Amino acid sequence: MSSSSSNIHLYTAQTPNGIKVSMLLEELDLPYKVTQISLSKNEQKEPWFLEINPNGRIPALTDTLEDGTTPINLFESGSIMQYLVDRYDADHKVSYPRGTPEYWEVNHWLFWQMGGLGPMQGQAHHFYRYAPEKITYGINRYQNETRRLYGVMETQLAKSKSGYLVGDRLTIADLSCWGWVAAYHRPDRQKTETNTMAKKQDWAGVEIDEFPHLSAWLEKVLARPGVEKGRNVPEKHTSLDFKKLSKEELDKRAAESWVRTESTAK
Amino acid sequence: MSSTELNPPRPIVIWITPPGPNPWKAVWLLEELSLNYVVKSFRFDDVKKPPFINVNPNGRVPAIEDPNTGLTLWESGAIYQYLIEVYDTAHKLSYTDLNQRHLCNQWLHFQTSGQGPYYGQAGWFTHLHPEKIDSAIERYRGEIRRVLGVTERVLSEKPKDGEKWLVGDKMTFADMAFVPWNFRLAEVLTVSEDEAWDGFPLTRAWHDKMVATPSWGRAMKLRARLMDEQGLQWNGVPKGIETFTEYETKIAEAKEAESGDIKVVKV
Repeated sequence: MSSSSSNIHLYTAQTPNGIKVSMLLEELDLPYKVTQISLSKNEQKEPWFLEINPNGRIPALTDTLEDGTTPINLFESGSIMQYLVDRYDADHKVSYPRGTPEYWEVNHWLFWQMGGLGPMQGQAHHFYRYAPEKITYGINRYQNETRRLYGVMETQLAKSKSGYLVGDRLTIADLSCWGWVAAYHRPDRQKTETNTMAKKQDWAGVEIDEFPHLSAWLEKVLARPGVEKGRNVPEKHTSLDFKKLSKEELDKRAAESWVRTESTAK
Repeated sequence: MSSTELNPPRPIVIWITPPGPNPWKAVWLLEELSLNYVVKSFRFDDVKKPPFINVNPNGRVPAIEDPNTGLTLWESGAIYQYLIEVYDTAHKLSYTDLNQRHLCNQWLHFQTSGQGPYYGQAGWFTHLHPEKIDSAIERYRGEIRRVLGVTERVLSEKPKDGEKWLVGDKMTFADMAFVPWNFRLAEVLTVSEDEAWDGFPLTRAWHDKMVATPSWGRAMKLRARLMDEQGLQWNGVPKGIETFTEYETKIAEAKEAESGDIKVVKV
């Protein structure tokens, strides 16, 4: 893909939905501009951003159509990914030709992530992490649903010869799920559940160790240079860092604070 | 179908359980495109059992099998894109240019990820969960109002006297996708229709125009019939069972049992 003529501008933040798009852009080797949206300052609700995305969420993307001047604004990570492969992946590096069975299978996994895995794991994050009041039922409900959804992926990956969700290659189906599964990763030691601070280092208390094919997939996707580059946009992706730490380092980190803000300039 | 030339020649099979909104999102599109299809209606108790689990490993309805292309597909959003691309060749409900095509897809994604899950959770905590958890109910009601605010804002930016649709100047599949959940809005919020839509007049007018289509009417008539045949109350719980928890317990107890009857309905 010759990528000299892109006017792509990505508005994003370091979240599972944000990195989907940057990972895809890197996998497609497309040039793009990045604007980091500060979620802590609620920048996604600013009038200028609502002009791009009336839903006030990241990511959003602007581009110009083939005439080079007509602007297009897109929001919803799933729709942005479909747009990018439709427009820029003519060689089908991370997609399949329109109308093939694999093309439609990618779509059902993509929608499965958008309507199922994302929202349900997001609710698990909410009830486990952010909710001011501890509602055990809410935590269990969404953790169980997330576990069920991981099980659905596990079954699919167990059948896959390539180790990817659909066919013989990485697709937007894998990229759309990856940031979410990565956000759930928790170190082995947390299984003991004796240290409450350590428990806080995962985001929603679902283990992926019980899903061997899913764990292998997480690593396989991670090993791709495009993913490596894209996951660190607009700042460092830290979800997987905990698993590389020794027990001592984990204890030290847990004793400090589990929330940290990395201010890596892009 | 009364036409002598059936389109497509062999009926598309759609698997549904009657209560939820998503099956009707797909059935409505089949109706609106006047496609040849049959409905396989079965009980919610059996979504995680064969034969349906072999059609959709995620155990959720709807799913379709299209013998004309040999394709099996699930997730209502993916089904929408498929039906539109393969069967809306006259572009009655879609566009051909890159810009509008992707804007329609964007709204479809927003509906499947932003509207559906939150309306669904609000409905769960309001109607099906045995214990009343105010903060959870409030959380999801707030999300519903936020989602309605997004469509209201976009519709308000359309030319004053022009047609008000999400993309361009006609109803597309993107508009249609929002109807099945908005159709349940008052029910989900447990308020009157007027209260439910208060503050969102353009969204209400947009919605009303769509539910007035004959195709939506046919879909809802079929729903009423299939709900009745399964002896279901309005909330999807079988008559004679008090709560959803009781229903879930019953389903869990009957886990090993065979899947019940699958009713095939020629439409």
